[in-house]
Amino acid sequence: MNSAAFAHTLQSWFGVGPLWAWAALSAFLVIFLLALPFGGIATYVERKVAADIQDRVGPNRVGPYGILQFLADGVKMLAKEDFMPAGADRFLFNLAPVLVVVGACSAFAALPLGKYLVGADLNIGIFYILAVTTLIAPGILLGSWASQNKWSLLGGLRGAAQIVSYEIPVALSILPAVLISGTLQIGLIVEQQGWAWSAEGLQQYHFWNGFHNPFTFIAMFLLFIGGLAETNRIPFDLPEAESELVSGFNTEFSGMRFGLYALAEFCDVFVMSAVVTALYLGGWHIPFVNIEGLGVTLPQGLVVLIQFGVFLVKTLILVFVVMWLRWTLPRLRVDQLMGLCWKGLTPLALLNLLGTALWMWIFKGQSLAQLIYGAFA
Amino acid sequence: MKLVLFLSELLTVASAFVVALHPNVLYASIFLLFTFLGVAVMFVFAGADFIAGAQVVVYVGGVTILILFAIMLTQWLYQMRLRDVGNKLVVPIAVIGLGLVPFLYKGLHQLADFVSKAPPPNLAAFSGSPKTTAIGEALLSSYLLPFEGITILLLGALVGAVWLARPK
Repeated sequence: MNSAAFAHTLQSWFGVGPLWAWAALSAFLVIFLLALPFGGIATYVERKVAADIQDRVGPNRVGPYGILQFLADGVKMLAKEDFMPAGADRFLFNLAPVLVVVGACSAFAALPLGKYLVGADLNIGIFYILAVTTLIAPGILLGSWASQNKWSLLGGLRGAAQIVSYEIPVALSILPAVLISGTLQIGLIVEQQGWAWSAEGLQQYHFWNGFHNPFTFIAMFLLFIGGLAETNRIPFDLPEAESELVSGFNTEFSGMRFGLYALAEFCDVFVMSAVVTALYLGGWHIPFVNIEGLGVTLPQGLVVLIQFGVFLVKTLILVFVVMWLRWTLPRLRVDQLMGLCWKGLTPLALLNLLGTALWMWIFKGQSLAQLIYGAFA
Repeated sequence: MKLVLFLSELLTVASAFVVALHPNVLYASIFLLFTFLGVAVMFVFAGADFIAGAQVVVYVGGVTILILFAIMLTQWLYQMRLRDVGNKLVVPIAVIGLGLVPFLYKGLHQLADFVSKAPPPNLAAFSGSPKTTAIGEALLSSYLLPFEGITILLLGALVGAVWLARPK
């Protein structure tokens, strides 16, 4: 059930209101039922993962295993003083966290959580996600400038330069998946990554894009590394860099404004992991199994649930890797960061793009697995 | 849906006014961002989803950031007041603007005539069809020469930027 169908269903249930209102409501539901709880729980999980890696206990006071810590944190943030530094630019100080949250949350609308569970399966899905997440860079830059604090400004300038630079390898690493699928529609990209046995043997579907050919395998890692930089996570968290810039671009933000920044960061990490999952790790597909081609007709609700679960597991594994890296790797220097982007990732991504294009041309779009299967069959 | 379109038009025009009249150049550039966003929404309503995405990526993610960088890295530029200049120019701008209204009216009238005489397009099929295929084919067939010309221009700009920033 895509957004239009979902909106139609809602409209038929309640029988009132124009269709677009229900479509807007379903998009809101995706954000409020997925993005916001994820952002909250992820702060708790991150602290627990950190504690585990550093051999500590971590939050353990609120609720069993401290699981309710994120609710306590949320209440605390709401109750905090609405602080704004003297000399801060009031309008921009308020606007900046909103821009960042809008950029991070609107990407959720196009994430393919299942074959029948997409907020809006747009024609230009992956391009839409790239587009709305660019709102984060001006948000970070404006917030840092509005704080009237030199550490903030340094962090903000670093953040914007970093995000703009890494957009290039990220976009170039998305393109191999688009080349293979021949569409920007993220739902179709995922659907083509199935692998299923049927009466005629192997179907023409290929396995996950990440294992299509050697170039896409590299592109998958490039996309993940570029995504880390775009979401300002370690080893690329120079915009925050506690050891040199106090807390970087969000130094002067406290209370719910800081909460919005933190929420946006975790939402962005989720979106980045979800994009890698959808483009290169088969999205909602269970490896080697096509749950709709088993010969048993499962109720649609169950299919939706299974696919959503599979997608969530893959995405959350990547989110865990992001957290794991945070407590493992040191931070890069600014010149190393830019050198890595322009001298390392960008040429490699261009090479991948060329390699994938040549592969598609020479082998008529067949994946490595299909070629091996074809040689023995 | 009409309401959303109207709101985006309002956003575009109102932000454009702020861009033109605000004394602080930083605010002007920020409202330029909202103008770009409003234009992107209008592209969506025109059925040009890819152009809308490109509008956001290029103008919001690229041009606005570039302008903000230029303002923040230029000393004292963001404290400069531009209101004096704006006040002097209000009368000539108003005269020129009002003088252009008849031409605009005529142009819009002709456009409306043209649209009403054209055969009704199949809007449902149009808005559902992927425009990216058509854009890609057009760029690599009938518009190949301009496309390649732009790539050479961009390459020149890139080489120029590297040359300017080279270590002395």
